[in-house]
Formats: sequence, C-alpha cells, structure tokens
Amino acid sequence: MSQFAELLDRFFYRPDEAVGSFLEQAPISDRIAEALPDETPEEFLAFVLEGETYAVPIGAVREILKVTDVTEIPRARKNIIGLINVRGEMLPLFDVKVRLRLAEVPPVVLTGKDVGRAARILLLKDLEGDAGVLVDRVEGVVKLQLSRLEEAPGLGIDRNAIAGLGHRDGQLFILLDVEQALS
Amino acid sequence: MVAPRALSEFIAEANEILEALGRELLALEESGLEQADPDRLNAVFRAAHSLKGLSAMFGLESISRLAHHAEDLLDALRLGKAPLDQALLDLLGQVVDMLQEMLGEASRGEDSTELKERSEMLAGELQQLASGGGQDTADVLDQVGIDPQVRAVFTEYEEHRLRENVKKGVGLWKVRAVFSLEDFDTRLATLNASLKPLGEVISTLPSSQPGDDSSIAFDLIFGSSKEKAELEGRLLEGATLAPLTDKMFSTPPPPPPQRKKAPLWDDKSISGPALSPLASFTSTPSGLSRLATTPEPSLRSLTNTVRVDIGRLDGLMNSIGELLLIRSNIEKLSDAARQASGPALPKLWGQELQREVRALERRLDELQKGVLDVRMVPLGQVFDKLARLMRRLVRESSKDVVFDVSGGDVELDKLIVEELSDPLMHLLRNALDHGVERPEARTRQGKPPRATIGLVAKQQGNHVIIEVRDDGAGIDEARVREVAVDRGLVTREQTEEMERRELLNLVFQPGFSTRRDVSELSGRGVGLDVVKTNLQRLSGLIDISSRRGEGTTFTLTLPLTLAIIRALMVKVSGRTYAIPLNAVLEIVAVKDEQLRTIEKREVIEVRGQTTPFIRLARVFGLPEEKRPVHSVVLVGLAQQRLGLAVDELLGQQDIVTKPLSGRLRGIPGVSGATELGDRRAVLVLDIGALMEELLRTQVAAS
Repeated sequence: MSQFAELLDRFFYRPDEAVGSFLEQAPISDRIAEALPDETPEEFLAFVLEGETYAVPIGAVREILKVTDVTEIPRARKNIIGLINVRGEMLPLFDVKVRLRLAEVPPVVLTGKDVGRAARILLLKDLEGDAGVLVDRVEGVVKLQLSRLEEAPGLGIDRNAIAGLGHRDGQLFILLDVEQALS
Repeated sequence: MVAPRALSEFIAEANEILEALGRELLALEESGLEQADPDRLNAVFRAAHSLKGLSAMFGLESISRLAHHAEDLLDALRLGKAPLDQALLDLLGQVVDMLQEMLGEASRGEDSTELKERSEMLAGELQQLASGGGQDTADVLDQVGIDPQVRAVFTEYEEHRLRENVKKGVGLWKVRAVFSLEDFDTRLATLNASLKPLGEVISTLPSSQPGDDSSIAFDLIFGSSKEKAELEGRLLEGATLAPLTDKMFSTPPPPPPQRKKAPLWDDKSISGPALSPLASFTSTPSGLSRLATTPEPSLRSLTNTVRVDIGRLDGLMNSIGELLLIRSNIEKLSDAARQASGPALPKLWGQELQREVRALERRLDELQKGVLDVRMVPLGQVFDKLARLMRRLVRESSKDVVFDVSGGDVELDKLIVEELSDPLMHLLRNALDHGVERPEARTRQGKPPRATIGLVAKQQGNHVIIEVRDDGAGIDEARVREVAVDRGLVTREQTEEMERRELLNLVFQPGFSTRRDVSELSGRGVGLDVVKTNLQRLSGLIDISSRRGEGTTFTLTLPLTLAIIRALMVKVSGRTYAIPLNAVLEIVAVKDEQLRTIEKREVIEVRGQTTPFIRLARVFGLPEEKRPVHSVVLVGLAQQRLGLAVDELLGQQDIVTKPLSGRLRGIPGVSGATELGDRRAVLVLDIGALMEELLRTQVAAS
C-alpha cells in the first residue's frame, strides 16, 4: 500500500507556505526605532543566502515554493539553474549566489533532494516574465523604513545587485535589486 | 475620451468591416464590372455606412467623414446614377487603404494633419464622382405600365433595380405570400432564399389584404427570366405567383389562371383572387413597411465570426493541460488500487475509477479538438489584405502584373496566420520588385508582356504549403555566388562544392542582398533572412527554387497548429527531450563500427545517403556513455537531413508546447517546454534551429 499512499500524496494538492502566515508575525518585530510619524514602514520578505540575510519588497514576491523537479537547460546562461513547472507555467530558476559572490559556481539542482530541507524558491514578479530564485531559507516578513535605508558600502561588493541596507533589531538586511540580480 | 477598452473593440470591429469591404471590392472587380452583382454593391454600401455610424459614435470625425463620402458615392452607384468603372474601383480601393491607415492612427491615439489632408483630398474626389454621373432621360419604367401609385411606394433603389430588370427584358412578377404570424419571419426568409437563385427580389411589401388576425400577407416584387411553370414549382406553400403588369415586354407569359394554393394552416387568409389590383399597393400600412430584402443599414457587425482573445484560448489550453495531468494521475491511482491486495472494495473502486478515466479521456479529446478548431482561421484573412496591397503596388509600379491567389479557404492556427502576413508581404514585394520584368523586357524574351505573381496555399497532411511564385527572370546564381563571397558569407572554394539549390539558399543568409540600391518597394531594411527567422519561429520552413528566365518560387511549409504537436520522446544522458514528430524522418540503429568520418566529422550512411551524425549529448555538453549501438533519430527539413544520436527512445506523445518566458528566450536549439505526467518540465527541441546551427558549423569547420 505504500506505493498507493505515495501516489495519493502526490495527487492531492498541498499549498506551499503562503506568504500570508508571515504577515501575521510581522508587527511584533520592532518597537525601539521610532518611526517618523507620517511614514509607514514597507514590508520586505527576508531570506538567507550563505548565512547572510537578504530581503526583497514583499510586493515583488508572487509565491514561495518548495523545491521540486528542475529541468536543466543546456547552453543557457550560467546563472539559470533550470526550468521549473509552476502549475503548467514554465519558469526559469535563477541562482543569485554567484552574482553576489557568495559562491564560485551555481549549484546543480535536479530534484528537491539536491538542496537543504529549508531551501525554497521565491517566485518573483518581473517585467520580463516571472522568475524563481533559489534561497537557502526563508526568514519571514520584516518592516523597514525606506527613509532609514542606507547605501551599500563599496567593499568590493557588486553593488549593482544590491539596492541598499536596512537595519532592524541590530540585524542587517541586504536589499536585493531583483532586476540586476537576474541579469 | 473613449474608454480604451471600448476603443479597442471599435478598432477590431472597424477592422473587420474594412476587411469585408476590401474583399467585396475585389470580388466586384473579379466578377466583371458590367455584370456587377447588386447584392455585392449593397454589401459594400452597407459596410461604408456601418463604418460611418460606428466611427461617428466614437468621435472619430475624419474617418466618419471619409466613410460618409464613400457611402454617398456607393449609393449613387447602386442606384445606377454613377457608372461603375475601373477608375472608380481604384478610388474605392484607395479609400479602404486610407481608412485602414486612419484606423491605425486612431488605435495609437495619434492624429496627424498629413493624413487628414490626404483624406480630405480623397473625399473631394469621391464627391466629384458621386455628383458627376448622369441619369437616363427616358425612363423605361414609364413604358412598362406600372400603376404610378404603385411606383410611388418603391424606394429610389427599388425603382432602380426594377428599371435594371426591365432593361434586361425579364419577366416581372408579384408573389403573394400569406404566412402565419408565428413564423412569418423564417418563412419569408425561406421564400426569399428559394427565389434568389431564380431571379431578383426587388421589393417586399406588406400586402393590402392582410388576411385575418393570425396571419400576415406580403407582396414580393420579383424579376426573373424563368417561365411561370418553373417558378411556381419552386414556390413555398402559401405563396402565389402573378405577373406584375399585364403589359409585358418581349415574350409575355400567358395570363395566369385564377387559381390559388390554399395555405394548409388557414384557408381563410386568401379570400380574394391571387392577382391583386396594383392600385391596392397605395394603402400600405406604414408600420410594416420594408422587410427582409430591403437594405436597411444597421450598426450590427457585418460578420458572423466571434472574436476570441488569444489569451483566453491559451488559458483554455492550459486548463486542458491540467486536465490531462489529472487524467494520468487518476489512471495511476486506479491501477494501484486494482493491483492492491486485500478486501474487494478497493478493486471495485479501481474499476469504477477506470471507467471514469475513459469518460474523462473522451471529453478531453473533444475539448482539445474544439479549442484547436477555434484557433483555426482561413488564410483568406491575410490573403485578402495582401491582394489589396498588391493591387496598389502594381498600380504604382511600371509593371503589368496579374496577381493570382488561391487557397484562401485553407485554415491555419490564428497565431500562425497573423505572423505570416509580414513574411508573405515581403516575398510578394520582392517578386514584384526584383522578380518580374517590365513589359518591354518580357516581350523581348518572347514572354507575354503581362507577368503573373501567384500566391497559392494548399493543405498536405499536417502541413500547409504556401507558394509565392512569379514568372519573372529567376535568380542569377552566379551573382548570388559573387555576392555571398564578397560579403564573406562563404568562401569561393565552398561555393564550388555547392549544388545549385544550396547556392540559392544563400539568399537567406543575414547580410545578403543582391540589389545594391534599396528600392522603395522592397527596401524596408529587412532581408530574406528575416523572413526565414520569422518562419522558423513558427516551426515553418522556407525553400526556394528558381529557373533562369522562367521565374522563382518560394515554398513555405507550416504546421497546422503550434498548440498541440506529436513528439518523439528521447532520453539523452538521463534527460528527457521532446523532438517534434513532423521533423522526424525515421529511426535507425547504427553500430559503432558503422560510423565513418569525413574530415573528422562523423557521418553515417542511411539508404545510400551520407548523413551527418551528431551526438546530442555532446552538443548539449552532457556526459556521454560509450555504447556499441546508437539509436539515431533521422531528422530532416526541406532537403537537409541529420542523424541525431540519443541514448533511448521513449515513444510518441501528444504534447502542448509552452513558450519559454522572456529571460529564457533565445536559447539555441530549444523551442519551448512541455510537461509530462510527472510534472517535470521537458524541453522541446527546435530541430530547424539545431540543424541550421550544426550544419553551419560543419561547413565552417570544413
């Protein structure tokens, strides 16, 4: 019966973690830094790449997916890990670690087993067509004030892919420029 | 201003009207000017009228004004006040082109004064022609002896048609028909339809003897050259025939006996004699005047087609894909349930499921077919536009050319048809500009001075073949060779080994053009290479054949649809790929020792033909396995062939190809992706591009 059970398991649709659940946790995050009275903090989705915490505007995230089968694309650009099938839509899965100089080579991912248990695909909305980005772990939603973001220091970092830095509770959030990171 | 959505609806509708207009004008010209079909003239008139009303409603005054002037002229035309001649048809053709341009501007939200001025000029010409025509002084109708009171009820148009019929010397009849109120509209339409092939229904008038409460009577004034007996044989139940006047011309039919056919449902309705006095027409009840045949212009769409947004169809297509997946999953479930040991319940359940799967499969097939059918449109949509364009281009050129179109009824996927218009237009311009010679040059070569450019479509199995041919000078391959070498596309040595066909195909190389100066006709900055890439995007092929002095033919081969294709699934170092079956010629097994090399390139021999042998794994940079026997998929497009070595053949499958999104476009050798039962994306190979790439690198390397 185990084969049957597995088939059943695959047949039934299980929603991946919805962004909504993170939203509920969001308001508790910071009470120390006084906000400018008229500024509403923006919400960002925070995720981890090689131990560093990055963030993208929550509005840019379409959904968060578990890593399933990935199809390699021969002779595609190096930062494209492969093709993923999102309910019938064929979308590219990007690696941003090489672009951010967090890794030397992009990972080879063919199935969910090739990545850590916490790894997720962020499906980002993009003008050139939605695209997936492979991340090590999703942290949650964080509220950051746009007026208090600082520019990334020129420490040999490829600043093009980084839109700025945000702080909250002593933690650093690196804001990713999605458009640049995928190019 | 107008809401964008409403405006786009208007543009779409106006476009359809213009297309219909262009089509009718062309048909008018083809059917000969003397024997112009009045229905056709009416259709053109109605189209102009609808366009006028529609554009006025949307505040597009300049379009409305031009359409209004065209309508005036067409009205004069159908009333016989202006003669139909070639000059007038040309002018109307220009009007259609102009309207199309103005519509284009409107859709972009532009409003240029230059276009306005030109349209004003056209409008002026139209006005002049409309008022210029004279009218017959002696009215033939006076001699026929129709009661003047009856004549008073006819509209100007009806009178004109009556006059035309008198001139032709045909018999004029009055058909009296009594129908029940419940279904008189359909019965009247049937009657009209049955009379139509016999002659012309000039007018439909409500009869002065209306019958009783449950029925309604009509008098149809009908002109026909047929004998009375034949006409009566065709009449419906409830209709009677009588001559319109007793003063008949040429061969008057015998006066009809006073008989009637009693309607089955109500014999009280015809009480008087069928031959009614013509004077009774005057007491026409006004509320019921003019039905069916009178051209009552309306704003309703001229076509019966439904416009469907291609995006919605794609959505439908996607849901079908989903359904297909569910189907295969249910099937697996049922299999598992049936094979499971234990109580009988799961087994029963499995059988049950299996039956459902069958039903689901049938429905899916229907749905799939239905959606595909919706996507299919006749090529005529493009051909008509091209025909009008060619008419204009020929007129502007100094050449004498007949444009011969056939196969407009062949249907193709909408997406392909839309994408075809540019390549076809380019090929036709090329044929006119570079292909055919001037009349003097043709006469000198002993050819008829009038050249022919043909556009022919036909269906062959799962493909549509479109030919663009001319009977011009043909392509000078010596010059092709010279230019190709000049531009560094090939070396002189290479050209010496090339066959004539290969040489000719060099014209599709980027950067090739045999004309030094760019002409105003074809010189739009795009070459044949663009035509070729456009076609490749549609999974189509283009081939060229040419004979010096006899002409050139471009042959386009296109798949019927891009949406669902049959594919051969193959495995290469553990990865699955789909090869569209239309490119697969055959599958052969080749032993390792049968491989030969020519200049270090691997080749195999298939049926005596030496064919390049390419290992797909190597092309894609995947790890290769050593094997004693290779499975080779022999693919071919046009005359080229190629053997692709794969590891494993998985069988055939219908697949829905999905395009790769923006950031993935332009990956060599991959045309899209599809999903199989296990939700993994599978790449679909672009055989055309792969062959191009692999054969080219071979040439370059050799």
